[in-house]
Amino acid sequence: MSRLFKYVAPLLVVLLVVAGCAAPVAAPAAPAGEAAAPAESGSAAAADLLSEVQARGKLIVSTDPAYPPQSELVADAAPPADTKCSGDEKPANQFTGFDIDTAAEIAKRLGVEVCFVTPDWTLITAGGWAGRWDLSIGSMTITPERMEKLYFSQPYYTTPAAFFVHQDNTTYTQPADLSGKKVGGCSGCTYEAYIDGTLSIPGETIDFVVTDAEFAGYDTDVPALEDLALGDGVRLDAVLTALPTGQGYIADGGPLKQLGEPVYFEYLAGAMDKAAAIDTQSFQDAVNKAIQEMHADGTLKTLSEQYYGTDLAAAGATFDLAALNQ
Amino acid sequence: MTAPTGDEPGSRTTYDLTKRADQEAYASLLMAQERRRKWMQRTRVALVWVFLVLILWFLFSFLNLDFGYIFQNANFVLLGIGVTIGVSLVSITIASIIALFGALGRLSTNSIFHGMASFYVSLFRGTPLLVQIFIIYLGLPQIGQQISARGFPWLGSLFILTAIQSGVLALSLNYGAYMTEIFRAGIQSVNRGQWQAASALGLSRMQTLRLIVLPQAMKLIIPAVGNQFIAMQKDSSLVSVMGVWEITYRANRFARKDSKYMEMFLLAAAIYWVLTIFSEWLLARLEGRMARSDTR
Repeated sequence: MSRLFKYVAPLLVVLLVVAGCAAPVAAPAAPAGEAAAPAESGSAAAADLLSEVQARGKLIVSTDPAYPPQSELVADAAPPADTKCSGDEKPANQFTGFDIDTAAEIAKRLGVEVCFVTPDWTLITAGGWAGRWDLSIGSMTITPERMEKLYFSQPYYTTPAAFFVHQDNTTYTQPADLSGKKVGGCSGCTYEAYIDGTLSIPGETIDFVVTDAEFAGYDTDVPALEDLALGDGVRLDAVLTALPTGQGYIADGGPLKQLGEPVYFEYLAGAMDKAAAIDTQSFQDAVNKAIQEMHADGTLKTLSEQYYGTDLAAAGATFDLAALNQ
Repeated sequence: MTAPTGDEPGSRTTYDLTKRADQEAYASLLMAQERRRKWMQRTRVALVWVFLVLILWFLFSFLNLDFGYIFQNANFVLLGIGVTIGVSLVSITIASIIALFGALGRLSTNSIFHGMASFYVSLFRGTPLLVQIFIIYLGLPQIGQQISARGFPWLGSLFILTAIQSGVLALSLNYGAYMTEIFRAGIQSVNRGQWQAASALGLSRMQTLRLIVLPQAMKLIIPAVGNQFIAMQKDSSLVSVMGVWEITYRANRFARKDSKYMEMFLLAAAIYWVLTIFSEWLLARLEGRMARSDTR
């Protein structure tokens, strides 16, 4: 009996210490106002995410300010005096970019202030946000893998994939003419899967107009464009890449031209946590409604032209979100 | 009896060490020589430093650094110092408390305490800090949600930590494991005879630890803990993955804005270095204070 006690007593003590320690670690370090939010989302009493967002008066959006022109930092911007953003959250004026303006516009249409948190991209795509933020506006491509963890919103813009050929070339008039030719692009990207005929994008039917082409893989897109710039057919006959990437290379003096219309679109959408503790359906509906309105009234077109110099948003409006079956 | 000859001109050359006045004069001569030797040594070391800094400067001149850019934007990165120091100070304090209990467990003859302490040290020394941060930030809330779903929402909500809390917890647990060994070695360095003597005087084991052993062990522990604190200031940069705006995060994200990577990273490195030099200075003063009891 006393032998048993000798073993059990220390365990009980440790349990008490752990229980005692857990509370002070969690509580005092929390800046005022922040500790309350997870507690609310944890309890079953909170109705749904939309009413929680409206009750607290702020929409918390994740962004990684490492990707101009989508999201980048603004130096030495004093936070507005009346901001509701607290703790780790930063008000909108600390950033600039297409994603930032889009998120601010969505929040405005929900009638709340936007606050940003800046976790690593891996933590955003991993899901399981634990109510730390409500929405990701991070130019996230819709993929089947991410759909396991996240709900996607109506796409707010797209990355069109287009073929580029040397400007001296006169024999190719449309993408289909590239069948059997040598096409470069970044390996492991969707471009390689398109040439292989294996590409699948959720919610999109892809028309593989180029067949039997040989794919030359590169680490990134720019070396492929540089090899094509050496001359028509010298190393490559064409490059398949993102429309803004190819257009940017031409704008910087690269001797290339775009061949025909984009062959497919990667849809870039907002994302919401599938593992959220409370109901997110009405919140998803509200975000989708806001994005559709921003497509309809030209807000996204204007923003896209402001940051990318071209309208990348249009195809996002016609995307059939219901086809994702999420 | 004659002492050896002094080597500088103008000073006395012979001392009669049977006379008290000569003993004192010779002693002060030796001390002056020792002081000069030490001063020369320090000057030579300083010259080596200056030389090495010049080489570094020369190498950096190949990088085409935009110094104007560094000075213009230093303020943004400097704002992260408070977070870096704050996170490190809180973490080293919690880690020290964990390490004390860990060391007592490691030294305990009770197999449960000993087993728990050695398991903890093995687990947290055996896995990378960055992975621990990811698991604490991503994994704990999922456990918390399961607990909440089973009817204990108050307990479950404790598992949902903010970025800073997750970082502090990971740093504390990780460093606590390393420091457990420091505390254990410190406590073991106190002669067993001290325990026996205290026991003979009727002190309990707890009293012996608190009044006799720990004060002596601390002299060994504190310099090593200071060393850990210096290391932690740099490791705290890992919390930037959760979006905590400390020095590294600010430098890294700001660099992307204008593609001024070298400028911003060198600025961050310089800030950490200055912080470290300052911490080393504080630590040296603390050690000097602790060593007072050794000087006669």
